[in-house]
Amino acid sequence: MVGDYEGMPARTFATMGTVVSLRLGDFAAAVDCAAVEAVETVFRRWDERFSLYREDSELSRIARGDIRLTEASKSLRTCYALALDWRERTQGVFTPHRADGVIDLSGVVKALAIAEAGAVLTVSSPANWSINAGGDVLVGGNAGHPEWVVAIVDPGNRSEVIANVPLGYLLRAVATSGSAERGEHIWTALNGEPSPFRQVSVFAADIVTADVLATAIVAGGESTLNEMTERFAVDALAVLRDGQLLVTPGLRRTA
Amino acid sequence: MRARAVALATLASVSIVGIGWQLGSSAIEASQSLTASSGGTAMAATVTATTDAAARAAAAAKGAADVAAAAKAQADTANTAASAQAAADAAAANAAAAAQAAATAAAATAAQAAAQSGTFTGAVVQTQYGNMQVSVTIANGAITEVLPLQLTNRGGRSVGISNQAAPILRSEVLTAQSAKVQNVSGATYTSEGYLRSLQSALDTAGF
Repeated sequence: MVGDYEGMPARTFATMGTVVSLRLGDFAAAVDCAAVEAVETVFRRWDERFSLYREDSELSRIARGDIRLTEASKSLRTCYALALDWRERTQGVFTPHRADGVIDLSGVVKALAIAEAGAVLTVSSPANWSINAGGDVLVGGNAGHPEWVVAIVDPGNRSEVIANVPLGYLLRAVATSGSAERGEHIWTALNGEPSPFRQVSVFAADIVTADVLATAIVAGGESTLNEMTERFAVDALAVLRDGQLLVTPGLRRTA
Repeated sequence: MRARAVALATLASVSIVGIGWQLGSSAIEASQSLTASSGGTAMAATVTATTDAAARAAAAAKGAADVAAAAKAQADTANTAASAQAAADAAAANAAAAAQAAATAAAATAAQAAAQSGTFTGAVVQTQYGNMQVSVTIANGAITEVLPLQLTNRGGRSVGISNQAAPILRSEVLTAQSAKVQNVSGATYTSEGYLRSLQSALDTAGF
């Protein structure tokens, strides 16, 4: 079901415990290498500063109490403020705090790294690009390019896909959350109940919105799904535990 | 802005239901159709109402549509994103449709003058955005709830007020015309998981 795409090889590198796949459309070979390097640098910087699994990261030092939040770098505080802002917008369903109270920014860091990498690529060349970091995808917004197509994986059988959805202006980002790959890595806001969703994909204009809302909807269940699709300009595809699909009208096949 | 447009449209819907109920309760048998233009948005709301209440119903429907139109105009002047505009459009359509469906529901209540309480379902109304239907719950002569039973959506991408996720069959999901897939989105895979992933297969096949 998944087709190939000639002439657009992917560059891959490992970061943040996963793999980033980079596709650079019409880049010249020289620009190409520099662009890949620049993107790698962006991800490495975010990882070094915000990873809790790295003992030497700034966020780990805050978690241990080595430094106070008020002494933290501006970018860390900005990132924390952004995460808190998303907590407001999702009525507390998305939270940058672990159950033990430690500040955990992993819910936004990967998306912020993708967004910054995208900005870097857009500046270095107006050509088309796509970044896929562990299943969260952002594509360049250049009009006239043959559409970027993203396949949504079937959580029941990961070698199958549920849908092939074109990405581009206006919705050029998609993030998927769920229990399919890493087990129950999302705390639910449903009084200890498991999420009714096995997997949730959110399509948005930017990757941070897509990622945060996908996480929030898995954690908050159907009421959060309805709330978020009403309040944000997004499309959503949710897979229930029994495999049934809930889909916003924009993702329906039109006759 | 979109939230405001939606709020205004909802307010419009609720107020027209309220007016419709009052008209309905003082009803006489004769009914006729009339059309109220909606000033600026090129939409028409047809309201079935009793003869002596016709003028007031027309004014009320126009009022509801005007509120929606105002919401739309706000979105225009603020020059917000296309989605806000689309949401306002949908809100305007919904307000008009809700006015119509709700008026029908109110007419139904008039027919059952003995019953002061209950839930009344309006007729399915076809708008340029799709079908629209509401139900009204009335307890002791007061409206307690207005529920949309069918919501509208605009061709292509969904918008604001009607953007509710609904159950569908797998065969009904959007599929790109192009068979070329470059990326796979799924729950985050680990570095090892990547090797077994579809994305990995695609990345390799990309050469």
